Parts: sequence; structure tokens; C-alpha cells
Amino acid sequence: MAEDESDFIDAKGAEAKARRSIWSGSISIGLVNVPVKLYSMTKDRSFSFRLLHKADGQPLRYDRVCIKEGKVIPWEETVKGYEVRKGEFIVFDKKELEAARPESDSRIRIDKFVDYLAVDPIYWDTPYLLAPDKSGDAYSLLLTTFQKLGKAGVGRITLRTKEYPVLVHASRGALLLTTLRYADEVLPVKGIEGLDGLREPRREELEMAERIVKDLSGDFDIADYKDGFRERIMKLIDKKLAGEIVVTEKPKKEEAKELMAALQETLAQLKKKGP
Amino acid sequence: MRLVDFKELTKVPLSNLDKVIYPKLGITKAKIIEHYVRAAPLILPFLEGRAAVMNRFPDGVGEEGFYEKDAPKGTPSWVKIYKRYSETARREINYVVCDDLDTLIWMANLAAVEINMPLSKVSSYEAPDFILFDIDPEPPFGFSEACQVALMLLDELESFGYRSYVKTSGKKGLHVVIPIVPSSNFEKTREFVHQMGRLLAKKSRMVVSEFSQSRDPSTVFVDFLQNGAGRTMVVPYSLRATPTATVSTPISWTDLRKGIRPEEFHILTVAGRLKELGPGGDPWSGLLEDRQELG
Repeated sequence: MAEDESDFIDAKGAEAKARRSIWSGSISIGLVNVPVKLYSMTKDRSFSFRLLHKADGQPLRYDRVCIKEGKVIPWEETVKGYEVRKGEFIVFDKKELEAARPESDSRIRIDKFVDYLAVDPIYWDTPYLLAPDKSGDAYSLLLTTFQKLGKAGVGRITLRTKEYPVLVHASRGALLLTTLRYADEVLPVKGIEGLDGLREPRREELEMAERIVKDLSGDFDIADYKDGFRERIMKLIDKKLAGEIVVTEKPKKEEAKELMAALQETLAQLKKKGP
Repeated sequence: MRLVDFKELTKVPLSNLDKVIYPKLGITKAKIIEHYVRAAPLILPFLEGRAAVMNRFPDGVGEEGFYEKDAPKGTPSWVKIYKRYSETARREINYVVCDDLDTLIWMANLAAVEINMPLSKVSSYEAPDFILFDIDPEPPFGFSEACQVALMLLDELESFGYRSYVKTSGKKGLHVVIPIVPSSNFEKTREFVHQMGRLLAKKSRMVVSEFSQSRDPSTVFVDFLQNGAGRTMVVPYSLRATPTATVSTPISWTDLRKGIRPEEFHILTVAGRLKELGPGGDPWSGLLEDRQELG
């Protein structure tokens, strides 16, 4: 099933692009630099539908329409605004925004090393693959050190126009870079209803619960889980492509026939009643 | 390719039959015409001799529609016209008078999804022959509250000796009407409805009788304002421009008391209901002969 799917997407040319490196620079630890390339490591499999005009099946496009004039506004005539109060904006032009953006200096700056398993996964955002850029020896040395000590590097990277905290760590026989969330991007647990004053479980309850957990324990395998909706839609797409599914709408001829029958019945009924 | 020839059945040149008018349900103009054709025996007696107002949705009910009082350009010569000077438009309006099936089909073919009738005939324009209580709930109140108020109104009207009739508006409200002998004027009918509204408002906290309160949340407004010359109500069995193609459907008071859901009555169910009720089984049959005196 999984292979069929990627075939399908390959045909559309999306998959082929996925493994091109998206950034190159170097990991810098103090005075040591390890040149690397960055690759995507994940892919969003949730697919999207295009919105079409029902009557003629043509794709619809979104336009930037001015709320006041109701007219489409060209890009040149746009600026960015930050809404401070409802309907009130602080306006920024391109230069101001450029000046505030972090400079991309092609460096992954490692600030310190931490225990890999001590980083709370809640901060993990998007993983990327780091590959050596003609720097196999240095790369291998860093990778092996991390593997041996169970350590990871914490630092920063600037990707496009945003600076991210990152974790550089060893996984699957390679170095990965995982962007992290900022502290204020994670919401507190406090203040959510039902979490205050939880009762301490009784000992016998706890023992039973522990037994259940032990009985159901196993090895983690993400392949146990499938996106059922996606699979069903993919099957439908295959069927539709193969011409197996007839469009569910009523054929137009039928509708005309029904209208014709209605006309005949009503005319007969009105005739009986008389004018 | 034309498989069927409508020409022998109607003089209306039907056009764009497969144009989708209700996008959510994929309902085409052919279906809309079919609906009006099937309901015609019940609709035509109400439109007869009246200046109909169309609410047209040529681009489907997802787009804005427009009220059309004036017969549009290209109106065939066989369509009956009633000319009358309009104070609001400040010109003479050519109203369509829908006296026959062909005119009804012609309107449906113009994507007149909603068809409205004034509460008087053109022969006595200033003298209403219907009294209309437009029962309009304001959220979070909805249809069930509208029903409660309609049933309260029924009790009051009965105690005054009036026989009234009810239909769903096709949206959240109800229309209660009393057919009357056209010997009065709109000022009187409007005042009558307003007074009944005030009476109900005194008896129940959920009812409001004044236009200024009509948008108060959790209220049911007994709207008297449609009782005016040139004001209209959707005809019984008119489609509504709702996503689910609901139909303004006459209901017997007994059924209303038992409890109904207005969403049950839509373009795909009404034909079946008519068949089930049989000829003369419509809750509003006999209404037009039941004209009462407004005392």
C-alpha cells in the first residue's frame, strides 16, 4: 500500500524533489567547523483537495480583495500590518522588516552539550537530516562521540528568515538537527479545569493499573498506525482513475425526464380541476 | 442533444436546466422547476390575481440573490402584468401576476427560488385578504420556541373565534395566517396583529411585540410589519434559499403540537409528502374558502 501511494505521488513530481538539500553551512563548535548539508526528514502526508467550480470543474484561485473596495489588489500595492486592536494596524514596509530579520550566517552554532534524553520532547518541532559536506571525518567523529556519550548539542540556526533553537543529535546512524520550540510557544498546564487537586490513587487501584499496563506492554512501532481516511481516499482515487466509479450525481437526462413526468402529471391534475 | 421535447407541454423555453442552484445538494434548475410544477396545484390558487415578487438566485443560493418586483426584460407577452405606481421606487412597476402553470414555470426558469405573495389581490390592492403573524425567533431561541408561541397564539385566536392556519417559514420561524374578507385596510390588520403580539408578550416573557425588541436574544417576535400594501410573504410550498433547500410548508395544528422539525420539509421530501396527503389532504386546502370578518 505504502509503495503504491508513493508511486502515485511520484507521478506528480512531488516526491522527487523532497531529497534535495535545503540549506548548507557548517556546525560550529567553538573554533571547530564541520561543513554540512541539511535535508528534509519528514513529509506531511495529509493531502489537500483543490477547490473547484462545481459547474465546470475548473480550479478556483484565491485573490487578495480589498475589504472596502471589493477589488483585487496587486502585490505592489500591498504593505504588511500588525493588528493592535480590532481594525487598527501598525504598518511595516519591506525595508523595516528586512532590517529586523536575523542575518543568515550559514552556521549552526552549538552553545553547549546536554543529555540527549533529558530534552523534553514537547520542545521538539521539525527534524532535519544533516549530511557531511566533504567533511566525512569530522562528521563521523562528532556522530560517534554523541552516540557513545548519549549527548546532544544545543544551539541556533537561521533558516530562511527565522532563528530557531536546535538540537543536534545522533539518530539512525546519522546526525539530525531538530528545531525546537521557544519556551513561550509551549502553553502551561496550569489553569486547566480538572487538573487541580487530583486525588492520590489507592494502593490496590494502583497495583491493578500497573498490572494492566504490564500486560499490554510491547515494543513501540509507529507502523502499527495508519491514516485510515487517507487510505480510503487513495483507494477511491485509484478507483476513479480506473473508471470504476460513476459520478454520483444524477445524469442530466434523468432529471429532464423527471421534470417531464411532473409536467404531465400536473397538467392532467389541473385539467381535472378545470380552469 | 435533447431527449425530450418540452414544447408540447409548456410554452416556456426552458434554459440551463443543469445549472446547479443548490451547490451543497447538487440540485439543479431542472429540479427546482420540477418542484414548482409538482406543487403548482397548491401554489397557483394563492398566487392568482396577486402581484408576485420573485427572489431570484441565478448563480445559486450560495451567491446573493435579488428581489425582482418588476417584470424583467424579455418577459414574454403572454405573462399577465399589473402596472402600479410604487412610492418607494417612484415609478410605475410592472408586476407579474401568476395565474397559470406556464407563468409559474417561467418564474422557476428565471431561478426564482423564492416566490412571494402580497397579502392582497390586485383587484383590491389596499384591502388585505390575509392577516399574517410572522413568528420570528431570535437565537438562541429557535423553531421549538416559535412553535410554543404559535400555539399560544392559536389559543388566543380561537378564544376570539378566529380560525387560523400555520406553515413553516422554511427557516426558523412560522407564519400564522387568517384569511379574511377584503373589506378592511392594512392599518387595521397591522394593528390587530400588533395587539395580539402585545397580549402574548404580557402573558409570556419569551414573546416581544415591538420591532425595537426584535433582535433581543432569546425572544420570539410576533412581527406585524408585513401587514402592509406591497409587503409579501413566501407562498406556501415556496422553496427557500437555504443550503438544504427547505420549503415553506403548511402544517396542521395537530402536527405542530406533536412536534415537527422544519428541516424535514425540503425539496426532496415535499413531493412525497404531497402524494401521501393525497388530493385535498393539504393542511391549507379549504383555507381560501374560509374567509372571516375582522371584527
